[in-house]
Amino acid sequence: MSKAILTDVTKCIGCLKCVSACKEVHHLDADVPRVWDKNDGLSAENWTAIVFKDGRYVRKQCRHCLEPACASVCPVGALHKTSIGAVVYDSSKCLGCRYCMMACPFGIPRYEWDKAVPHVEKCILCYDRIEEGKQPACTEACPTGATIFGERKELLPLVHARIEANPGKYIDKVWGEHEVGGTSVLYLSDIDLGFLTYPTVKGDKPLPQETVTAMESVPFAFVGMGGAMLGLNWIIRRRMKLGEEKAKKKDPAHE
Amino acid sequence: MNRAKNAKLVLWILAGFAAAVALNRYLFGLGVTTNLNDRTPWGFWIGFDVMAGVALAAGGFVTTAVFYIMKREEFHPLVKPAVLTAFLGYVAVVVGLLFDLGLPWNIWHMIIYWNPHSPLFEVGWCVMLYTSVLLLEFSPVPLEEYSRYAKIRNFLMKYRFVLVLLGIMLSTLHQSSLGSLFLIMPERLYPLWYTHILPIEFFISAVALGLMMVAFETLVSHWLYRRDPETVLVGKLCRVAAWVLALYFVVKSFDLGITGKLGLVFNGKWQSDLFIVEIAVSTIIPAVMFAVPRLTRKPVVQWTGSFMVVAGMVLNRIDVGGLAMYDSTASYTPSWMEIAISLGVVSAACLVFLFVLERFNIWEIKPADPESMPQTAPSFDYSSRSWLGTPDAASLARHSLAFVLSFALGMGMMSGKRLHAEGVDSIRVSPATGIDTLCINGNRDDQYVEFSHEGHIAWLRTHAISLTIDGVVHTASPSGGDSCTFCHHLNLPGEKVSNCAECHTSMYSEVDFFRHGWHASAVGANLKCDDCHATGVTRNAASAKKCTACHRGYDFAPGKGAAGPELYIPSYVDAMHKLCVSCHIADLREVSSLSQTNGGILSGKDKSNLAQCASCHRTGVPPELRADMKWQVKLPHYDNVVLPNVGVTVK
Ligand code: SF4
Ligand code: SF4
Ligand code: SF4
Repeated sequence: MSKAILTDVTKCIGCLKCVSACKEVHHLDADVPRVWDKNDGLSAENWTAIVFKDGRYVRKQCRHCLEPACASVCPVGALHKTSIGAVVYDSSKCLGCRYCMMACPFGIPRYEWDKAVPHVEKCILCYDRIEEGKQPACTEACPTGATIFGERKELLPLVHARIEANPGKYIDKVWGEHEVGGTSVLYLSDIDLGFLTYPTVKGDKPLPQETVTAMESVPFAFVGMGGAMLGLNWIIRRRMKLGEEKAKKKDPAHE
Repeated sequence: MNRAKNAKLVLWILAGFAAAVALNRYLFGLGVTTNLNDRTPWGFWIGFDVMAGVALAAGGFVTTAVFYIMKREEFHPLVKPAVLTAFLGYVAVVVGLLFDLGLPWNIWHMIIYWNPHSPLFEVGWCVMLYTSVLLLEFSPVPLEEYSRYAKIRNFLMKYRFVLVLLGIMLSTLHQSSLGSLFLIMPERLYPLWYTHILPIEFFISAVALGLMMVAFETLVSHWLYRRDPETVLVGKLCRVAAWVLALYFVVKSFDLGITGKLGLVFNGKWQSDLFIVEIAVSTIIPAVMFAVPRLTRKPVVQWTGSFMVVAGMVLNRIDVGGLAMYDSTASYTPSWMEIAISLGVVSAACLVFLFVLERFNIWEIKPADPESMPQTAPSFDYSSRSWLGTPDAASLARHSLAFVLSFALGMGMMSGKRLHAEGVDSIRVSPATGIDTLCINGNRDDQYVEFSHEGHIAWLRTHAISLTIDGVVHTASPSGGDSCTFCHHLNLPGEKVSNCAECHTSMYSEVDFFRHGWHASAVGANLKCDDCHATGVTRNAASAKKCTACHRGYDFAPGKGAAGPELYIPSYVDAMHKLCVSCHIADLREVSSLSQTNGGILSGKDKSNLAQCASCHRTGVPPELRADMKWQVKLPHYDNVVLPNVGVTVK
């Protein structure tokens, strides 16, 4: 039941239909460049954007990681991965700590910096539309089939088939199949898409696992420190007592 | 006693200044007060207020461990101030966090919504619990003054050991977990600082910092109130700190060695310089100084050593909390408002500290408040029946004055842009380039629009067009010979076709075209009201002289500007969209009629394509793909495009 989006970079013509469809469906506001979006066109009002890179149009959106870093760090669980694959946000829980924005390896979540009551904004894979049996607004709007929607399990063989059927056309790699544990948004491309993530994110280890060891040792550290302190205290007290007794023995007249 | 008095005055000034900024932050949001942005969502407040704040407050658990657990009775004089500093430190951290959180009123959500995988969740809980523990640990001191609460006090005293133990356990957790916060961002944090043992390093350095913070705070407060410094005790602290710092150094070097990062330390990048400075100031130099027992008894060594550790470790927290991420984000330097808030929070905490010091039994002998000494002069002047004010009131008045004045200064320093929460960068427009085909790229972001100037001229030479935009009719016809002014609606003196960017100078914000203030000002045109506005009628734009009455060289197209000055003109983006989209959108609306009257130049289908954003923007769409596009006839959904109300007829 895990859904996914596949974007074939070679097919995108940069018409921005996906962007406007997303804005329309989610009632996003006017988007004026502001001092605080120093990025790629994504903003609190733009959940998806087209990045123009090496003569290609690359659609950027939340990757809906299989093991999302954003959800793992949120102290109140305002972000979570649903069974259909979407990583969604519950604004009523959020504190606004912005840890999710710090943790996301793709730099996706955006903040409403200009509001007195700000929230985190990002693509939600149109989970409400999917639940209604529809497909996301962006894939529906795409006129060239560059970005399509389906089951992750069914899309993956399709992508590999596409690569095999067009030898030399694509780089033989499906972005999103394995990185950071895999994502629900897949890319097929003839240019390197490494720029979609931070240059130093390497390997297929899901980021939340970086914290697991530290978090798992928390109870041990807690109890261990308590035990150590009690033990230390016991030893010191005993030593002091022994010292006193010794002193008493030596000089009983002192009493 | 002047030291304490002056110190308090400075603290009140800083607090007042911060209060002004705080008001701004809560009314208008984070974007206008901070330089935080989507790439750097954590900044100075996290690095200094939270990370450094918690570490600085480590003195509480370290001192209680030494005194209650290790039974080193001689440290008794340091325990109360240390616990008080820790408590105030944690309160300051929480207050600082209330500024940083986007939705601070939801801070309590951590109690009901749990995510135990999150290090921040754990830090939050520990801070919450530990602050309560510290309050309980400290409350016997103020309760001492009120015999009515003796029972509570005795109860707390009885279980003090349990509280202390709990406090140490909680501190261990969150001091280290502050390091765990950053484990999930290997891509952001520079490898010199990123390590899987960051939590352990954080804990060890917190112990060292805690010791030195207690030392430093003792030195400062004794200096402020001109007490004899606790040289012996501070010296002992320094000697312990030497060991802890040595351990920290060994652990850190080992880790760098094992992970093969030693080369990074000396590769000459700014990060390695920063790292060397940090470790030298926070660890190496003080540890070496404190290693010689004879030196640790010297006040100079105590002052410099403890200050170096405090400053160096604060730098370490700031590095991990943001500075060492600069390369991956490269878009943030704190705004003065962020720094003002941080200083204000610290100042407020210091003021409370001094107040408690003067009011309760923290030291064996209370320092007297210089201004609440028994006064000799009567506070009421019987002859004039006026109240002269007590010295207490004098300090109250002085502090309020300092607070209010600096508050006002803070308000004054906030620019209009900040106050109105616009936050839009004013981008000056670069004019279009090219002759027959213009390249329109006002903000030079390389996403230009190609505009066939020649093609448009050719079309206007053969067509008569009448366009109604926002109720104003614009016409052009081949016979009228006026097709240029159809677009170039206002030309500067001596020009036939002034560039759009001449007047629409700002990319995204409205332009004050007329500049009324300048015309009226003595340093500007120095005109009297009556010079432009007719007397006897309401003075407004309609009753004013036409611009061309004075500016004869200006060439206003009919219907534009001639009716009176337009005070504000649209941004470049809006102007261009208005100019292009109004015609082409009309095409879209009247596709059928156009394709009949167009003489077959463009078919209706092609024309409607011109009303799609991408047909003009991003000209790189390959032509063969263009043909494939299955456009739906639908208006593009870009709200910031000011789409005028248009009617068009083409003859
Ligand atoms: S791409 Fe970022 S925001 Fe989206 S699910 Fe992954 S971690 Fe979360
Ligand atoms: S900003 Fe909100 S959603 Fe993001 S981690 Fe913090 S509480 Fe969670
Ligand atoms: S999936 Fe939905 S929310 Fe995400 S980019 Fe597409 S339209 Fe927008």
